[in-house]
Amino acid sequence: MNGKKRQTLVLYCICLIVFGCATVAPAPSKHPPRATSDTKIEKKELREGKPRPREVASLHLTEQGQMLLESGKVDEAIGVLGRAVNIYPSNGKNYYYLAEAWLKKGNAAQAREWNRLASMYLAGDSEWSPRVYEQHRRINVHSR
Amino acid sequence: MVFRKSTKKKIIRSLCFLSFVIVIGILLYCLYLAILIDTRFSGRKWSIPSKVYSDSTLLFPGQQVNRSLLINKLRRLEYRNVARVPESSGEMRIQESSMELYLHDLEMPAKQHKGFPVKIAFRSQEIESIIRRDNGKTLPLLELGPEKIMLFFGPERQQRQLVSIDRVPQNLIHAVLAAEDSRFFEHHGFDFRSILRAIYINIRHGTIRQGGSTLTQQLAKNYFLTPERTLARKIRELLMALTMELRYKKQEIFEIYLNEIYLGQKGSVSINGVGEAAFFYFGKPVENLSLAEAATIACLIKSPGLYSPYVSETKCREQRNKVLRDMEKLGYITQQQRDGAVAEPVKTVGFTAYGKKAPYFVDYVSKQLPALYSPTVLSSQGLSIYTTVDMQVQEAAENALQRGLVRLEKTYPSLRRSNPGRKLQGAIIVMQPKTGYILAMVGGRDYSTTQFNRATQARRQPGSAIKPFVYLTGLDQFTPATILSNEQKTYEVNGKPWKPHGKSSYSGAGIRMRDALAQSDNLATVDLAMKVGLGRIVDTVKAFQFSTPLKPLPSLALGAYEVIPLELARAYCTFASYGVEPYPLSLKTLTDENGNILEQRHMTIQNIISPAKAFVMSDMLRSVVIEGTAKSAKNMGITFPMAGKTGTTNDYRDAWFVGYTPDLLALVWVGFDNGESISAEGAVAALPIWVDLVRSIPQYVSGDWFTIPPGVVKAKICSQSGQLAVEATCPEPIEEVFLEGNVTTEYCQIPEHKSHSGEELKMWWQKLWKR
Repeated sequence: MNGKKRQTLVLYCICLIVFGCATVAPAPSKHPPRATSDTKIEKKELREGKPRPREVASLHLTEQGQMLLESGKVDEAIGVLGRAVNIYPSNGKNYYYLAEAWLKKGNAAQAREWNRLASMYLAGDSEWSPRVYEQHRRINVHSR
Repeated sequence: MVFRKSTKKKIIRSLCFLSFVIVIGILLYCLYLAILIDTRFSGRKWSIPSKVYSDSTLLFPGQQVNRSLLINKLRRLEYRNVARVPESSGEMRIQESSMELYLHDLEMPAKQHKGFPVKIAFRSQEIESIIRRDNGKTLPLLELGPEKIMLFFGPERQQRQLVSIDRVPQNLIHAVLAAEDSRFFEHHGFDFRSILRAIYINIRHGTIRQGGSTLTQQLAKNYFLTPERTLARKIRELLMALTMELRYKKQEIFEIYLNEIYLGQKGSVSINGVGEAAFFYFGKPVENLSLAEAATIACLIKSPGLYSPYVSETKCREQRNKVLRDMEKLGYITQQQRDGAVAEPVKTVGFTAYGKKAPYFVDYVSKQLPALYSPTVLSSQGLSIYTTVDMQVQEAAENALQRGLVRLEKTYPSLRRSNPGRKLQGAIIVMQPKTGYILAMVGGRDYSTTQFNRATQARRQPGSAIKPFVYLTGLDQFTPATILSNEQKTYEVNGKPWKPHGKSSYSGAGIRMRDALAQSDNLATVDLAMKVGLGRIVDTVKAFQFSTPLKPLPSLALGAYEVIPLELARAYCTFASYGVEPYPLSLKTLTDENGNILEQRHMTIQNIISPAKAFVMSDMLRSVVIEGTAKSAKNMGITFPMAGKTGTTNDYRDAWFVGYTPDLLALVWVGFDNGESISAEGAVAALPIWVDLVRSIPQYVSGDWFTIPPGVVKAKICSQSGQLAVEATCPEPIEEVFLEGNVTTEYCQIPEHKSHSGEELKMWWQKLWKR
């Protein structure tokens, strides 16, 4: 029996089983079980739970960094945001603002690196993801 | 008669001419002195040594702290204990569950604020709250100023803090006048009455008890002249004082005097000026000195070596009271004020001699400075150099290394050496992996014995500590579940046979890649290296920017080539920061004496590998600590998730441990400088030091682990075959991480694990559709 004939026969048998017995056999996946990423779950937990002290302290510095950036004190902003990253590395906003700071300094290569980290940490954030993407676009325009 | 008259005339003329010449000479000399004085006074008056600072310290509620290290830090920051509630800058009160501070003014580049009182409450080893005592507000973050860790002295080794006359309190001005020259504002640089009085007193006592020099003369002597006692020098001093008085206002002269005057000795460094003396003796700015303290500083001018409160409190008090009496006599203070001040004891702040703190780190920073500024500039321009070092981490690292090496010498007496230069050595580097901040660097066990920085200058074989880079290369083709051969095989390298030494750490045939790395299995690692190709491993290692040369030899996979510890630490940071390698940052900001920023360096990063690969590597390296060569860390008290790798070289010449969490990375190396064996593996010699260090700095341990980045998936595999687990029949199914698109597709092929029902059908079904 060649391969095609065998496949047809098997399909026929399956149809008989399915429609004859009215039971559904669990179809084995063509691919190995695909794991889900824990990232979103963990992030959700973080967001829903009480913010951790490190997160609060880091966010305080993020705000400072953002304000310095807005007032044109780019070098000082980078220093403050660096401290924020050191306190709580999972705060993706710091990476976003660091990318912004390097962009202001005209260093697209560094901006791209920090933007990449921002996109990873803020992947599940519906508010921040578009901003990170838009920043990525600006970096590309700048490097051209 | 005519002859006599003409002779007389000639003599008179000659004398007149001579007098004229002398007067002209004196005037010309005074002119020269005026130019000299102007040149010195208009330019930089003093050499101010540049200072190296640590990073500032951030405290926040919820933060774990090592209270003893924090208290040490506060003492180094010149906070002094008081029994009452702190009321002025620099005071602190330490209680069982709280700490009250009156903060010093914070002065950092582009960041200044006045000090204020705070209360830090603790719950066990955690900060419960930080409250501003003056307004009751809860603070989310508190910044303690940076520590001064080194001064770049010039040959004169003088330390002074310049103060303007406006900042100097009246009490101190009056005390100095009473002690040294009460008629300063009346004379013109030279006081005949003072000289007569001094002569009278000295004759009466039969010894030199008093000098007649005015403040201006003292200034001329100290600032311009040498201290020898000759008539010529005395005349020059007098002329200089007169010139100074002609050219400058009294206030200006007095201000320069107050900043110039020598007031004591701190080790080999002289304390000059009232600004520095106020801090040295009383730990406070000059404007905050009390009457008694002001009189104490004034009384030191005569002889700081004799009257220093650090030398003799009794003599100091007698001399201070004499100044207070003179102040009263001159009408500067009332009798009541004098009595109050006389009753006060001489309470000093205590001091530690200037020493180089974090000496290896400072050397590392200093080596970057000559490129920016010359040694002369560094020792005279009063620059401030702000760095990344955290002195709490530095102290913990120095202590951990010291304790660890002593412990090893105790356990293995053969490691003891009597020659200090040949003792067992070690190095530690602590970094923040995301930003590359160097938090601590210990380049050896005793800086005074050897200044060779083993953290940045040593080239040592990494041994198994290099294996993660071999396994990283393997991740392109294989997975953590891939079974590697652990048989002793002969490989052909460049046409020649090569056979790795040793036995496998695993008794069975074949070992999963994760286990091979966890157990640091040499045979399996060589098998992997030969499969992926030595050239590719060289390319991987080079991508991590190691500066040491390496060749595609099989021994490369086992770490038989040299690396610089700092470069190894930096490379490991890549795993701890989702594939991004940071530049190791030590020097942050350089400012001039007015606080203007001259140089600023930022953290910079470079992407080396994908976040997914970095995560998989971290996950595999976590197994090293959970079940591999570093599993003893758990028994030593490591309860938080961490990754790491031990390293041991041939004949136990080097012992390594590089461990990290998402927040912190530390590398420990132990060995002899001359390459003698230390008879211990990385897990025995280096790991305990790492644990000791990290347990001492709870503020850097969040207990977090890396979140799974995009591109990583999990699947259940059979622990024996490394293939997908067959439900219910594989006895030890375990969860494994894979790079997306690189997941094993085969179900377990071990006959006993094969299901005779559902799973078999699944496999048959898959085979069917694969054809």
